[in-house]
Amino acid sequence: MSKEAARRLIFCPRCDARQEVSKVTKSTSCPGCHRNILTSDVEINEYCAKIEMWTAGAVTVGKKGTLIAEVRAESVVVKGGEIKGPVTSRGPVTLEKGSKVFGNITAPSLSIVESQHIVGMIVAGPRAAELIAEIEAAVVAKPPPAPGKTPHPAKVA
Amino acid sequence: MVDAPRNETLIGSDVSIKGEMAFDGSMRIEGKIEGKIVSKGKIAFGQGAQVVAEVQVGEAKIEGTFKGNIVAATRIELASTAHVLGDVRSTKLVIMEGATFVGNCHVTPDALKATSEFVTPVAATPIKK
Repeated sequence: MSKEAARRLIFCPRCDARQEVSKVTKSTSCPGCHRNILTSDVEINEYCAKIEMWTAGAVTVGKKGTLIAEVRAESVVVKGGEIKGPVTSRGPVTLEKGSKVFGNITAPSLSIVESQHIVGMIVAGPRAAELIAEIEAAVVAKPPPAPGKTPHPAKVA
Repeated sequence: MVDAPRNETLIGSDVSIKGEMAFDGSMRIEGKIEGKIVSKGKIAFGQGAQVVAEVQVGEAKIEGTFKGNIVAATRIELASTAHVLGDVRSTKLVIMEGATFVGNCHVTPDALKATSEFVTPVAATPIKK
């Protein structure tokens, strides 16, 4: 009887290159950018400050956790803790009661149970791309005034 | 047709309004609105609502399509069917999984202290004789 190892598909947080790895793999090298990728899940239950927290796994911030970093992950769960920095996720972002996020959130799905501390730009939901395309179309339709037509500030004064 | 509670004003799905609205109590909108809504009460935008407005209310719940900025004194809730493009400012925020939201979010316990534009609703202003 052959024993087949459980495998999973991961995406590089830097270049989005995909590769299949064993479920128990903790880190690997990206075939696209040739840099090291953390593939394990990360749980923060204390103060943690770093430049980047990029993983092909999940990031969980516990009630006593404070994560100060640019976060890129497969999914993000904040269980009452705090994130200071931009959050980008390929999967769902869940903020449980009492969670705090000070930074932009980009995710295909966002769920906030009840939060009193969220500051930043949010781009989330299945139709977010549609809305962004709408904004871009509006910007293109309204070109800025021609430089020759605006009076010189010195002449106006 | 959605049944509204007895003390709730309902703007039906076949109604289209352009302009400024003020009310006390609570209102549910299922139709099309364009303009400005000011109140200290509750407002709910139903699943069929299509709103392009500046909203300043006590509490807001969005289930439909909304474009514009919302300032709510106590709470903003986006249902899973919500489709929101604009900025939100409140003291509490709830977003259900599946909701689409693109915009700036300013949710802090003192979020409204910074907004000087949170004015008294028109209907609550006493009329001078």
